[in-house]
Amino acid sequence: MANETKKILIVEDEKMFRELFIEKLQEEGFSAFEAEDGEKGLKLALKEKPDLILLDILMPVMDGLTMMKKLREDSWGKNVDVILLTNLSATEESTIKAMVDYEPLYYLVKSAWSFKDIMEKIKETLNAQNTN
Amino acid sequence: MKKKYINSFKIIVVALIFCSSPTLYAFAQSPRVDTSSAGLTTKVAPGEILPISVKLLNFGQGQKVDVTVSYGIFSDKGTQIYSSTETVAVETTANFIKTIQIPFGTPAGGYVAKASILYAGQLVPATTQFPFTVENKIFGFFLTDFYFYLGVILILVLIAGFIGYSFIKRGQANRITPHEYNNVADKERIYYEIISDTIMEMRYRVGSKALEIAKAVEGLVVDPNTGKVLQITEDPAKIIASLVMQYEKLLGQKISFALKRNTAESSVIINKETK
Repeated sequence: MANETKKILIVEDEKMFRELFIEKLQEEGFSAFEAEDGEKGLKLALKEKPDLILLDILMPVMDGLTMMKKLREDSWGKNVDVILLTNLSATEESTIKAMVDYEPLYYLVKSAWSFKDIMEKIKETLNAQNTN
Repeated sequence: MKKKYINSFKIIVVALIFCSSPTLYAFAQSPRVDTSSAGLTTKVAPGEILPISVKLLNFGQGQKVDVTVSYGIFSDKGTQIYSSTETVAVETTANFIKTIQIPFGTPAGGYVAKASILYAGQLVPATTQFPFTVENKIFGFFLTDFYFYLGVILILVLIAGFIGYSFIKRGQANRITPHEYNNVADKERIYYEIISDTIMEMRYRVGSKALEIAKAVEGLVVDPNTGKVLQITEDPAKIIASLVMQYEKLLGQKISFALKRNTAESSVIINKETK
């Protein structure tokens, strides 16, 4: 498996959560880097072109759904795999519409998923990229 | 000397006829004794009563004859565990039930109940016997019967369990089989699928309550039996948001989604571990 070559961007405003993911992903052999809001995340994504973006929704400066919208406007960004990681319930029409329009792979509620299971989803996604 | 042997042989033959061939014996019209379990029992537990049907036949011609009947119970190995005698006055024929209590502590196994008669003027011995079994009991059942019934019950329970399990799995399979919406326009299909999968996942967890909630959502028409989305007349995003809100409240858990749909999987993920 070519984990070493896979790049993962974490866009998350909670520093502790961000650092935890960076540490675990690096332990797994991935190249992981981070951004603390959507604006920085978008710039970093377009510059580094990661294989996968873990994206929070509620963030300062630019929220995750706006970042994803702008990302999909880019020729590279429209196809990049995104996993939304949030504590926000999908009970807003705008959130549902964004999910349908911007096509993240997953909309995962952090509180309902263990760290281990999220890591499995990440590996599953990257493995699927290898087979496609 | 040779003649004496011949006489002895005749006596033995007659005795054998008496003991082993009732038909021939009846033809000879000689007194005889006959015993059987009388269809009452062939299996007893230690301490229980063994009923023996006794028939004394062909005694006297209009006058009573005192007949001494000896009873014995022998194990397969020939050990006698019971013996008794009684005298009965018989005129021609007598039928009665003799009861023998099997001694407590008698080991389980095969036994033989024997009876022989003695009367005045008897020329040859007459005996009869029938086999029976001594077996311990558990919960009022003989051990072999107990294990038999236990086996039957276990088999029935297994069959019932298997049938019940099959019905449950079949019901669950029906509930978690995603519906197809090939007839819906591409643009709207994803909404149909998300709504359908949301209902399906909730049906898997909370049963028909999930359908009740879906039927009550304004702008959403679902099949009342299968939960398949039949029509959407309101903003589908609003319908999904409404469903998610009510289901999260019912389930006490937030709902996740898998958006890039693999047709074999649901687009809604309630919780990885619980499915």
